[in-house]
Amino acid sequence: MTDILRILISPLVWLASFSAVYGLHGLICGHGIEGDVLGFPLQRVLMVAAYAAAILLQVMLVAGLSAQRFSSPSAFVRFVSRVTAWVGLVATVWSLLPVVTTTYCL
Amino acid sequence: MKALERHRRMTETWASDPGFKGWFSTVSHTDLGRMFLVTAFFFFLVGGILAMLIRAQLATPHSAFAGPEIYNQLFTMHGTIMMFLFAIPTFEGLAVYLLPKMLGTRDLAFPRLTAYGYWCYVFGGSMLLFSMLFGIAPDGGWFMYPPLTGPLYSPGINTDFWLIGITFVEISAIAAAAEITVSILKYRAPGMSLDKMPIFAWYALVTALMILTGFPPLILGSVLLEVERAFGLPFFQAELGGDSLLWQHLFWLFGHPEVYIIFLPAAGVISTVLPVMCRTTLLGYGWIVAAAVALAFLSFGLWVHHMFTTGIPHMGLAFFSAASTLVAVPTGVQIFAWIGTMWKGRPDLRLPMLHILGFFITFVIGGLTGVMVAVVPFDWQAHDTAFVTAHLHYVLFGGFVFPILAGLYYWLPHFTGRLRFFRLGELAFVLIFVGFHVTFLAMHWVGLLGQRRRISTYQPEDGWTVINLISSIGGFVVALGIGIVIIEVILHAVAARRSARNPWGAGSLEWAMLTPAPAYNFASLPHVTSRNPLADNPDLAVELAQGKGYLAAPSRWRETLTVEVASGKPDYHVIYPGNTRLPIVMSAVTGIFFLSLLVKFYWTVPVAVIGVAVLAWRWVWELGRKDDLPAQSIGHDVELPNTVAVDHAPGWWGSLFLLTANATFFGSLIFGFAFLWTVAPGWPPPVWFEPSAIELGLGILGGLVAVVAMRLALRANDRARSPLPMLGVAFAGTLAVAAACGLLMLRTPAPAEHAYGATLLVMGGYGLFHAALVSLMVVFLIARVSRGFTSPVRRAEFPIVVLWTDYLALVGAFTLLAAHLTGYLA
Ligand code: HEM
Ligand SMILES: [Cu+2]
Repeated sequence: MTDILRILISPLVWLASFSAVYGLHGLICGHGIEGDVLGFPLQRVLMVAAYAAAILLQVMLVAGLSAQRFSSPSAFVRFVSRVTAWVGLVATVWSLLPVVTTTYCL
Repeated sequence: MKALERHRRMTETWASDPGFKGWFSTVSHTDLGRMFLVTAFFFFLVGGILAMLIRAQLATPHSAFAGPEIYNQLFTMHGTIMMFLFAIPTFEGLAVYLLPKMLGTRDLAFPRLTAYGYWCYVFGGSMLLFSMLFGIAPDGGWFMYPPLTGPLYSPGINTDFWLIGITFVEISAIAAAAEITVSILKYRAPGMSLDKMPIFAWYALVTALMILTGFPPLILGSVLLEVERAFGLPFFQAELGGDSLLWQHLFWLFGHPEVYIIFLPAAGVISTVLPVMCRTTLLGYGWIVAAAVALAFLSFGLWVHHMFTTGIPHMGLAFFSAASTLVAVPTGVQIFAWIGTMWKGRPDLRLPMLHILGFFITFVIGGLTGVMVAVVPFDWQAHDTAFVTAHLHYVLFGGFVFPILAGLYYWLPHFTGRLRFFRLGELAFVLIFVGFHVTFLAMHWVGLLGQRRRISTYQPEDGWTVINLISSIGGFVVALGIGIVIIEVILHAVAARRSARNPWGAGSLEWAMLTPAPAYNFASLPHVTSRNPLADNPDLAVELAQGKGYLAAPSRWRETLTVEVASGKPDYHVIYPGNTRLPIVMSAVTGIFFLSLLVKFYWTVPVAVIGVAVLAWRWVWELGRKDDLPAQSIGHDVELPNTVAVDHAPGWWGSLFLLTANATFFGSLIFGFAFLWTVAPGWPPPVWFEPSAIELGLGILGGLVAVVAMRLALRANDRARSPLPMLGVAFAGTLAVAAACGLLMLRTPAPAEHAYGATLLVMGGYGLFHAALVSLMVVFLIARVSRGFTSPVRRAEFPIVVLWTDYLALVGAFTLLAAHLTGYLA
């Protein structure tokens, strides 16, 4: 079961963070959250912070699953879990990229 | 013992009841897999006939063939039948039939559950067929958007048939998915570690996990919409704090993964059949597994691309557009792995291979138009036109029907033990392939010219006439091709020559047995050391029949073994239940429950619920034993404990995955609550819930007490003390949760007047239901302890109840906090 988890964890975390960022976006726009931090609009700051946190999490997963300590004894599972870890990272960077490129509540 | 003698004795133990009556009591995965497939194919024909009626109507402008009311029913039922009654059950049937054979074991994890799922499917499907025969079929389109399908605009019973019938069928999907998951993880031949699993099993595992997490949002949506229609709780009515967009979210949260739930098993068939057709092995096994996992997850992050035209802010759209383009990558990885496999091998244009090529061409085109509609501005133009219908058929027909036809021809010798004799299949393939592309290329075109989908008629001035006629002719050519397939299959079953054991020269285990398959699959279970055991040892079938594997001694029980998930090391000895009519009776009683809701005959609802509870009690009661079974020898000097004497019995695993589905359901409910709160107009509600620290404390504390008491009961049992006192405490704890949830329901402010109250009512109901369920389980355990079914050794039932109690405490606390805290906040 741990091996199955190793394979699933990174995409699972992607799904969770993707939904969370989308939810945060909904909250910000739904409740009209406004303000600014150091001259940047609060909405953008919140979104970018969430984006950064999501990426950081994925980087940690990639590092963890590549490290001897957390990886599987089975070569096959090691391989697959590292591929899915990279999938999680790439998916996070790419699918949440709009956080830094488009308008937020339009 | 001679192979023949072993065969005779094993058959005695494993055979279903003889004759036609045996259909109703069989729990054999071979029988049920066939029954699933035949029934699903029947529904494919029904859906196909509806497609022909659609195409007949659209063939000419001003067609008087069917009026708009009937036309609405036609396309709704066509889509619904194809998706829910053909595609998903075909996967279930294929997996049910094949998995134990491919994994080198004797049956699935829960044979009676297979039967229960099958009968739920049959009864639910019959409800929908019935509605069609009487002209009261659902007519709101296969995705049933409110407000069109709400009580105001669709007052008749049509929509209820969909919501209730499909939910009933969905039970079968969830049952099958839990079963398939546990079977793949635990029920394999000794030595079959994860990396030696046949690739089809990986696909089936991923698909089953997707069903467990993809279907609950739809079930929730259906429940809410039905409750709105029957009792007026306004979940989807904007004036009363609801939001029809909530339905779209819930539906597509299911609906997009559904597309991959359909595609992945088909890809599994391709990955299995293609290497055999190319006389080689699959290229990039690990990459394919990773791609399947990636595809499964990514597909859950795409649902909003069906909602690009609903006015969602740009950033939201961009997220889903980006994620949608991303799925092309794992799909591409698989395609390249297949191309590489063909490159590496020597492709042989036998019939399954033709269908695989048909798949390639069609699916790649469908994928490309998919990327087109993933681009938001393009989608704004193409949305709800025939272009989208054409795209989805390229993906569904190309991605599912062609592979399944390949699989049909590939495994037909396995089903019947015969080889194809008449060469009709090649002709059928050409007709289907050409007909399909004529039909749907034309539909792309007419869609770009502006023809909307779901219109029953159009004007000659629109300029769509010729194209539609061509498309319809193509449709009839496909039908002709399918007709020839049917004729060939029938001829095949009655008049073809016997086949040798492994006619394709495949390497996977399902061919290491007699065909048609004996009731017990393998006379003795193989020890697997590679991914293609039969290729390594062509004599394997004979050796297994001679009893050289595990569990070779015939016994009066139906026996098999389970393995450790990762390593494939044997861990437990399993005794299966025998033939029984319990599943069909229980699904009939479940059917009474749904039927009562449908015809609003509410006093039979509690009768049916109690009926199901009583039957479920019997179901579990029949398992287990009153004496401690010593460790069982499985041959080759290995002894295993029986599953009554372990911490994580199959029932525990089954519960774990059922709870996964259940938690998704609950999570979707919470999501719905949050969504309405933040997005729906018409908030805040006029009255808030009156919070109460006493009720909140009662519920949360009750849950905690139950959790602790169950653990203490388990520990007492392990140490040979009586667990009864602690079980009593646990029971009291569950009652406290029930009371708190019940009070929440009673005190919910005006549920019919605002979605806030309506949601709290449903959440309270969910908590109450689970409290009742878990208290029943605790009572069951008390009865088991008192009747001597448990001992320090026979302890397997405790951890299962512990698991459910933990779940209850969690969802109970969540529900109560959601209700009371919102009260405090306001
Ligand atoms: C020869 C085979 C088929 C033909 C000729 C055909 C034809 C059609 C046509 C013309 C429509 C559009 C109706 C309209 O919008 O007015 C349609 C809708 C649809 N079809 Fe098919 N179809 C075929 C097979 C399939 C298969 C195999 C599947 C799924 C596995 C499928 C799933 C659907 C779905 C989901 C819809 C949408 C229904 C709706 O709009 O609610 N079809 N089909
Ligand atoms: Cu989609």
